[in-house]
Amino acid sequence: MGKSNYEDAENYRNRELSWILFDKRVLSEARNKDNPLFERLKFLSITSSNLDEFFMVRVASLKDMVNAGYDKPDIAGMTPKQQLTALNKETHELVDLQYSTYNRSLLPQLHLNGLTVIESHEKLTAWEAAYVDKYYEENVYPVLTPMAVDSSRPFPLIRNKSLNIGALVRKKNGDEFLEFATVQVPSVLSRIVQIPAEKGQEKKIILLEEVIERNIHKLFLNYDIVCSAPFRIMRNADLTIEEDEAEDLLKEIEKQLKKRQWGQAIRLEVEDTIDKRLLRIIEEELRITQEDIYRIDGPLDLTFLMKMYALPGFEHLKENSYAPPQMVPELPLECDIFERIRQQDILLFHPYETFTPVVEFIRQAARDKDVLAIKQTLYRVSGNSPIIAALAQAAENGKQVSVLVELKARFDEENNIVWAKMLEKAGCHVIYGLVGLKTHSKITLVVRREDDGIRRYVHLGTGNYNDATAKLYTDIGLLTCSPSIGEDATAVFNMLSGYSEPLGWNKLSLAPLWLKDRFLFLINRERENALAGRRGHIIAKINSLCDKDIIKALYDAGAAGVKIELIIRGICCLKTGLPGIGDHITVRSIVGNFLEHSRIFYFENDGKSEVYCASADWMPRNLERRVEIMFPIDKPELQKKLITILHMQLKDTVKAHVLTDKGVYEKIDKRGKGSFNSQLEFCNVAVKAAKMQEQLGNSRVFIPEMHHE
Amino acid sequence: MAVKTFAAIDVGSYELAMKIFEVSKAKGMREIDHIRHSIDMGSETYSTGKLSSERVDELCRILREFSDIMRTYQVSGYKAYGTSAIRETKNKVILLDQVEQRTGIHIDILSNSEQRFLDYKSIALKEEGFQKIIENGTAILDIGGGSIQISLFDNDALVSTQNMRLGVLRLQEHLHHLDASIRQYDTLIKEMVESQLSVYKKLYLKDRQIKSIIVVDDYISELVMRQGKDSIGGIADRKTLEYYTEVCRTKNISELSKLLNMPEEKISLLYISMILLHCIMKNVEADRIWAPGVTLCDGIAYEYAEKNKIITLPHDFEKDIIACAKSISKRYQGSRKRSETLEQIALAIFDGMKRIHGLGRRERLLLQIATILHDCGKYISMVNLGECSYSIIMATEIIGLSHIEREIVANVVKYNHLEFDYEADENKNQMIDKVSYLKIAKLIAILKLANGLDRSHKQKFKNTKISLKEEELIITVDTAEDITLEKGLFDERAVFFEEVYKIRPVIRKKRS
Repeated sequence: MGKSNYEDAENYRNRELSWILFDKRVLSEARNKDNPLFERLKFLSITSSNLDEFFMVRVASLKDMVNAGYDKPDIAGMTPKQQLTALNKETHELVDLQYSTYNRSLLPQLHLNGLTVIESHEKLTAWEAAYVDKYYEENVYPVLTPMAVDSSRPFPLIRNKSLNIGALVRKKNGDEFLEFATVQVPSVLSRIVQIPAEKGQEKKIILLEEVIERNIHKLFLNYDIVCSAPFRIMRNADLTIEEDEAEDLLKEIEKQLKKRQWGQAIRLEVEDTIDKRLLRIIEEELRITQEDIYRIDGPLDLTFLMKMYALPGFEHLKENSYAPPQMVPELPLECDIFERIRQQDILLFHPYETFTPVVEFIRQAARDKDVLAIKQTLYRVSGNSPIIAALAQAAENGKQVSVLVELKARFDEENNIVWAKMLEKAGCHVIYGLVGLKTHSKITLVVRREDDGIRRYVHLGTGNYNDATAKLYTDIGLLTCSPSIGEDATAVFNMLSGYSEPLGWNKLSLAPLWLKDRFLFLINRERENALAGRRGHIIAKINSLCDKDIIKALYDAGAAGVKIELIIRGICCLKTGLPGIGDHITVRSIVGNFLEHSRIFYFENDGKSEVYCASADWMPRNLERRVEIMFPIDKPELQKKLITILHMQLKDTVKAHVLTDKGVYEKIDKRGKGSFNSQLEFCNVAVKAAKMQEQLGNSRVFIPEMHHE
Repeated sequence: MAVKTFAAIDVGSYELAMKIFEVSKAKGMREIDHIRHSIDMGSETYSTGKLSSERVDELCRILREFSDIMRTYQVSGYKAYGTSAIRETKNKVILLDQVEQRTGIHIDILSNSEQRFLDYKSIALKEEGFQKIIENGTAILDIGGGSIQISLFDNDALVSTQNMRLGVLRLQEHLHHLDASIRQYDTLIKEMVESQLSVYKKLYLKDRQIKSIIVVDDYISELVMRQGKDSIGGIADRKTLEYYTEVCRTKNISELSKLLNMPEEKISLLYISMILLHCIMKNVEADRIWAPGVTLCDGIAYEYAEKNKIITLPHDFEKDIIACAKSISKRYQGSRKRSETLEQIALAIFDGMKRIHGLGRRERLLLQIATILHDCGKYISMVNLGECSYSIIMATEIIGLSHIEREIVANVVKYNHLEFDYEADENKNQMIDKVSYLKIAKLIAILKLANGLDRSHKQKFKNTKISLKEEELIITVDTAEDITLEKGLFDERAVFFEEVYKIRPVIRKKRS
């Protein structure tokens, strides 16, 4: 392939700015009046926690680069400094939009629906005030640690992401000298304080920091409170581990975790009414610049809205048109999963279909006397995971159990270490990740000794082995006992155990060694077909697209006439409507009730279409610094299922945004298309399929019992 | 259960490998796992003669892991073989005992020819490709860490095999020693290889036409195999190889690693293998290679399956051994006619004595080879015929014979000419155990007798009938010629025969 016409930076979008657009799409769901009110709270809360993580990881790393004098431009030609400047404007706008949503749409609506948020303690009635004061005395006061700063006491360390109340105090009967004092709003208490209804049905709540502020004078008895205001800081939390130096990865992470809270401050949020003198002290102590200060018109840290969502009594204001996860027709309850897999490959589509079979797969393997070994990679696992329990059980039953536990999963390490140790105690062979690589692949291998020899059962997925998120994330899973995939799976685990790579692969493509080239090959094959006058068509559903080589290949293919339909939930550094490509490449994003998470790839291949699923996005980090697996779906009936999924998502008019040539995302003009919500339709399909299976199961034919014990 | 699981372990010069196989009569052999760990033992052994304790620790650690994996698969048997790196350690007895103590895995050492034979067997098992390819001029090039082995086919039998100390690790060691840069590799390797190769050509190749080379190695095979679509392996022509060699010469290691899809640490050895192969191809004028992609582990498993009568090998390996012996005899100008007569008589006696000597098919083959090689030493000295023959046989590899078998043949030939030395060998050569000692004695007795019957070298005893009557072995000769000489010498030789078997040989002339 010759040089691409699309090398220049102008053809690419900066990934951070693209991410902001994604958070805005989530925010637009919070602003969308068609969504139930409490769902809108949830979306707003998500934008807030998203933004926190974005600051701690992305902004922090840009700051690191600037500090280190690193000024290599990114894919879009922007230096870290330029990116920070551009981001600063965008994040301030985003925050303004968050709070106008909160103040102007959500609060009045909540009030209309019987939930009143008392925005400041001054607005409490006398009776209410008496209640919160009592609440303060009994519940809050005992856990507060007020800290004053003077010449003998240095400025206290303010914990990352914690909410604090700062105050200026003056000694009673003293001089005019102002001292700084601060108290952390305790995270052990609920931020939402419910006030019992005085009369009628109306529920009232007030936020914990208001309660503390109201009573702050009780903390500094010898002082007069001059002013007080909540503030919150965000610190650099990008966890970079020197793996080559770390003798024991586990220890290193434990050490890093403790260190993480005390990084450089990169964002300061304060209430916009804060006293100037108070702000200046905080500013100076944290050495934070003006542009990193966010003056907030409302409560800091909107993630409390997730707790508000959970308040009882508002079920009618929540989403309930989506059916819960359904039974997988091929895997009825209490079936012998191995027998079912021997009959046919089984595709799972979560969360429309239940995740239970995957847990059951491991549970049955743990109990089965013929199972010799279970091997699995674990990335993010829910607390109290039934999978962990089953693995431990298997080890106790004498199976050889190998588990690769990825400790480098962002922000989850503490959790992971605990159960990794537990597995080790149970007798599992635990591998704590690979040096220099994150293991992001999702694969389970069960080796079973059967009459005609060893048979291998494999589960491959696009999502983590996490039964909790499997109810919220859309993911694809495959259960198969195909010998060629089984061989590859064995080779994968040999490689993960530190042995040499296999001489070749049958079906699977692995990152970081082979996957990228495989993608480039597949894209380029479409291009060659298009150049030869044949139809070229790619549909890819992923979460992020920011790998330059892939984008370039897509551009070249698009320019050659390949129809490329991309369904990308989040970041997309590709631009649409470039000269020479026009509308050959389209990008849409679906942000709906469930988090779109599956990665599905369709390649026309001149009529012999190929369909793949993968754990990887088209990001350099996935393709170059992680262990990822792409697996083909070969069986025509399963291919059809996946192609249908892709087509239904392309048809979505309710939750889809389309990326325009101007670089903004717009909702689809429904005129002439009708309303089509793909996630809702997937639910309906799953319900129908499960019902049909149930009816088959309940047919009126008597089944004679063939065995008698 | 009809399906057995077997583990084959190859303790190689630069890699520890284990393959797990399922073996059954119905389905033959199925590989279910292949685990490899890179460990460079060769470099240490070749330069110092010993393994460092860190290496031994690593070896033991991996072997213990192998043993865990075997347990997982519930294997019913395993075989671990060490090749040149272990073979060339000075303290191998101590080393292997220590490894066994620490890991529970017993490692046997393969002699070079045994190792090559296992490789060869696993190639031959790739029936589809093999029988077709050896019909035309073919050589097997087996590239190891310490040495390479070139084996030649004539028609469809293997006729000669030669070991040369040009293994890739050894070459790399030399190159490091010379402090050579990658750019110089090409010239230096060619120089090292060609001097040996020209001798080889003169001795073995002569006007033989070699069209294809079957390559067994760990680097080129991997590359070529990837082009091949099915289980037969990969085929590549000289042009393709020249292209790759050129690519290797011009690009840097990380580019190559990406381009050839190989780990960086393998690239240097791949390049050396390429130059080596290219050099050999040019010299023998071969124009294509076939990489069946077999490993020693396959050979180990085939050996196991064959021993346990689970599979039968399609190729006649005994024919190879005989062809090989004949070509050695020819090289040393042995008399074909006399050999044939001797073979006929000796085998007839062997068959007639079956009830008494209790030896099997394999010993019959050894006897046959001894007859073919019975006079090879005279090429050097007609006086010290026995000693010279012994030395020639011990120094010439006959693929398919184990080391101990070669020792048996050499001794049988030696004492055909000399008086049997009851003690010498027992003391001198501890490799020979009691069973082999007895085999040697029994075969010598037969060969000596046969030799006596053809003392005049006139093939008078061509039509001989052997029959066993109580304490006598009746040898009936159908000839009109005078056999006085033979009869005269016969008694002297019959004494040893009688001593060994307690049977008295008697000659009868059939008068027609």
